[in-house]
Amino acid sequence: MKIVIDGKVCEAERGEYLLTVARREGIHIPTLCHNDALPGLASCRLCIVEVVEKGWHKVVTSCVYPVSAEIEVFTASEKILRMRKTLIMLLAARAPENETIGKLMQEYGLEKPDRFKKENSSDCILCGLCASACEKIGAGAISTVHRGVTKKIATPFDDPAADCIGCAACASICPTGAIKVQDKSGTRQIWNKTFELLICPDCGKPVVTREQAEYLRKQMQGNPIEYSGDGTVRCERCKKASAADRFRTAFS
Amino acid sequence: MSNPNQADIRMREAHLSEGTLRRDCRTVLVCCGPGCLANDSPAIAKALRSKIDEAGLDVKVHPLIKETGCQGLCEKGPMIRIVPDDIAYYKVSLNDVEAIVEKTLRSGEVIPKLLHISAKTGKPVLTLRENEFYTPQVKIALRHVGEIDPHQIDDYIDHGGYGALEKTVKEMTPDVVIEEVHRSGLRGRGGAGFPTGRKWKQCASYENSPKYVVCNGDEGDPGAFMDRSIMEGDPHSVIEGMIIGAYAVGANEGFIYIRDEYALAVETIRKAIEQARERGYLGRNILGSSFSFDLSIVRGGGAFVCGESTALMASIEGKVGEPRAKYIRSVEKGLWGQPTVLNNVETWANIPVILTQGGDQFRQIGTEKSTGTKVFSLVGKVKNTGLVEVPMGIRLRELIFDIGGGILGGRKFKAVQTGGPSGGCIPEELLDLPVDFDSLTEAGSMMGSGGMIVMDDRTCMVDVARYYVQFLADESCGKCVPCREGIRRMAEILEDICEGRGQESDLDLLLNIGETMAEAALCGLGKSAPNPVSTTIRYFREEYLAHIQERRCPAGVCRELTTFEIDGALCNGCGLCRRDCPTDAITGSTKQRHVIDQEKCIRCGNCVDSCKRNAVKVR
Ligand SMILES: Cc1cc2nc3c(=O)[nH]c(=O)nc-3n(C[C@H](O)[C@H](O)[C@H](O)COP(=O)(O)O)c2cc1C
Ligand code: SF4
Ligand code: SF4
Ligand code: SF4
Ligand code: FES
Ligand code: FES
Repeated sequence: MKIVIDGKVCEAERGEYLLTVARREGIHIPTLCHNDALPGLASCRLCIVEVVEKGWHKVVTSCVYPVSAEIEVFTASEKILRMRKTLIMLLAARAPENETIGKLMQEYGLEKPDRFKKENSSDCILCGLCASACEKIGAGAISTVHRGVTKKIATPFDDPAADCIGCAACASICPTGAIKVQDKSGTRQIWNKTFELLICPDCGKPVVTREQAEYLRKQMQGNPIEYSGDGTVRCERCKKASAADRFRTAFS
Repeated sequence: MSNPNQADIRMREAHLSEGTLRRDCRTVLVCCGPGCLANDSPAIAKALRSKIDEAGLDVKVHPLIKETGCQGLCEKGPMIRIVPDDIAYYKVSLNDVEAIVEKTLRSGEVIPKLLHISAKTGKPVLTLRENEFYTPQVKIALRHVGEIDPHQIDDYIDHGGYGALEKTVKEMTPDVVIEEVHRSGLRGRGGAGFPTGRKWKQCASYENSPKYVVCNGDEGDPGAFMDRSIMEGDPHSVIEGMIIGAYAVGANEGFIYIRDEYALAVETIRKAIEQARERGYLGRNILGSSFSFDLSIVRGGGAFVCGESTALMASIEGKVGEPRAKYIRSVEKGLWGQPTVLNNVETWANIPVILTQGGDQFRQIGTEKSTGTKVFSLVGKVKNTGLVEVPMGIRLRELIFDIGGGILGGRKFKAVQTGGPSGGCIPEELLDLPVDFDSLTEAGSMMGSGGMIVMDDRTCMVDVARYYVQFLADESCGKCVPCREGIRRMAEILEDICEGRGQESDLDLLLNIGETMAEAALCGLGKSAPNPVSTTIRYFREEYLAHIQERRCPAGVCRELTTFEIDGALCNGCGLCRRDCPTDAITGSTKQRHVIDQEKCIRCGNCVDSCKRNAVKVR
């Protein structure tokens, strides 16, 4: 079906998310909590757009709005810009020093808000991606706790995360870089816990934590990571290189 | 296999022949609703029962005591009614039991001190019919509450209960049932006012099975007890409504989601479900038809937001009770992704009446777009508080000044808050506003589930807004940015204004945050949360400005901004204020002008309330 986004006629499939269509057409809509692999959180509300259907205007979040009719969409109407700026202002009040939010402020020409109290600021904007990623991996080590203004992401009872395997998927998916991971001298620190990092036998770089390797072995039963005889693991690059090596020898 | 319906008729006949339920004998109804229960009404019921047994030997009255649900005027409880004489007694205590039995029941003598005193005429009132609190009321959803014993299915059946179900499954196709509900114009009583018939029709149009029907008995509004009173006072009306709804949309399973604190409601509904099952109203092949349906109870998740439809369904599925983002409606994909009809307790309780009387009859009551009645819990600064059911379209003025009997202590009306914590405050200029879904929304408030809090001139509207926003700050699930961060910053600004740190630009900022919340929040909580703020700014802007520009709280509530003074021209030196001041800040000899020591005054406002001459002024 055909829909119109900011005056541009776009081809869309029924049920497809509006954001997906817009991105394919090169139309930029800002997002924080959206990740193609983990859709449906819709918590940051930054991706709001105005949809006109049969003359009715409504505000929807494009990351979860399924296209189901021939609609006209405005991603940056006056109203949308005004509200998006308010959202960014609220985020900036929460995470005043954050780089991601700082870039958004710049993009929308906003100053740092000075009306609000500075206490309890945090880089985490509670989008929920980290917890979803962790759950999807199967570890489920972190989740949101409490509600309302005291909500936060935490490990059970704020203890060092019992179920955490140190994969750092949460940190890498976090849009604001709020989760601290420290890799140094063969160990990784995350969620108050220290992990041993296994070294790639070929290049000598730290690859994964021991818990992660164990976990993957159990999960997949097959052999997703290439283990060398002594239980160490090869990193992706060396794995590819060694496969290429074998390939070369076999066919030369 | 015996026909459950025949078995049912036999049991009813047996019951009637025992004479336990004959309506021609005298009955004492002892209210055991939430309010009276708190005042130990069951002990009164027990004492009455034994006194009557004693006396009954030589007196030719055989009163039957029933423990009923709420009678409405809770604040004057414990309350009892004697029918058919229709005598209503209030604030009954154990000490009165003997007199009630000996004087009223034996000799037909009325006890004046137990009668209701009309707030209007100041005269005692004998019956419910003559009581200004009840006369304008029309009871549909509450039709049996206070009349029947909720633990006896036969009492319900005797009052016509399950007749609608019988008619439905025997004489009507599902389409015809939906058409009837559609024609009634019934709109959801749980908040948004969505047309019930349309919801059912949409659900029925999906082929997938299973389908579910769900009753929302979460009632999270603090102080509200409409749904509780129905569940505890007339559980079968809800159950019957749900069976009819399930028949109409093609569901075979249903859930009643009850707020966790409502232990008595859970127990009453549980018993009622059992009794309905025994009589063949629930279970396989209901009333001999091919239609099967059963119900179970789910205890609520304990948070205000759990009443929101998607959070409620997540909670029933065993997940965290948080709202979900979705643009596909529950009628298509609800519980476990299946077509689901969710309705509020009061909505369900209306259904049997619609099926019995017909949709056209039902829509005679109320207004064109808001048909029928609505139950409110009328509380705050009115003389008569309690549970009321009135036709839609009634004026606020009637509700507050006729039914409610006017403002307590002869003070002035200031505002009425409707719609629960995220409703809006309606000012005096709008007292003639008709109470219906659309008018309330237009005024910036909402019907909500029927909370109604009356405020007098000793209320600061900025403080009211702050109070509700604070409540919502704890109740927001915290998932989405506009609601979580918006409420937090609104609370901060309002606190600043109340404590004298308000800034000129604050009002625009509040309205701006409010707009973003209303449009961009994920669920209804965040969307409606700005209402208390936006309505108070809309109707009481000068009061905000007095706080911000003059650092003054005109109502004398915000302590940092208040100074109390005694007007020498009005003070007659009675000393009442001096007596009530907790810090001895007031001095003066009898019959001499009194003064307040500002150093000692903690601005509690006691003196304002105690002065009979209105001499204590807020500066
Ligand atoms: C925060 C929030 C709380 C709610 N709480 C309740 C409630 O306690 N009871 C209720 O019936 N509806 C409540 N609702 C409304 C429900 O989401 C839903 O609209 C209603 O149960 C549908 O039934 P109805 O059409 O019969 O009104 C709430 C909505 C929101 C946004
Ligand atoms: S830590 Fe990052 S990913 Fe996790 S909720 Fe906060 S902002 Fe989102
Ligand atoms: S609007 Fe409030 S309650 Fe609703 S999902 Fe967002 S944070 Fe939660
Ligand atoms: S109560 Fe009123 S009249 Fe009496 S002393 Fe105080 S200010 Fe004066
Ligand atoms: S990206 Fe759509 S709500 Fe966050
Ligand atoms: S509880 Fe008794 S009158 Fe309401």
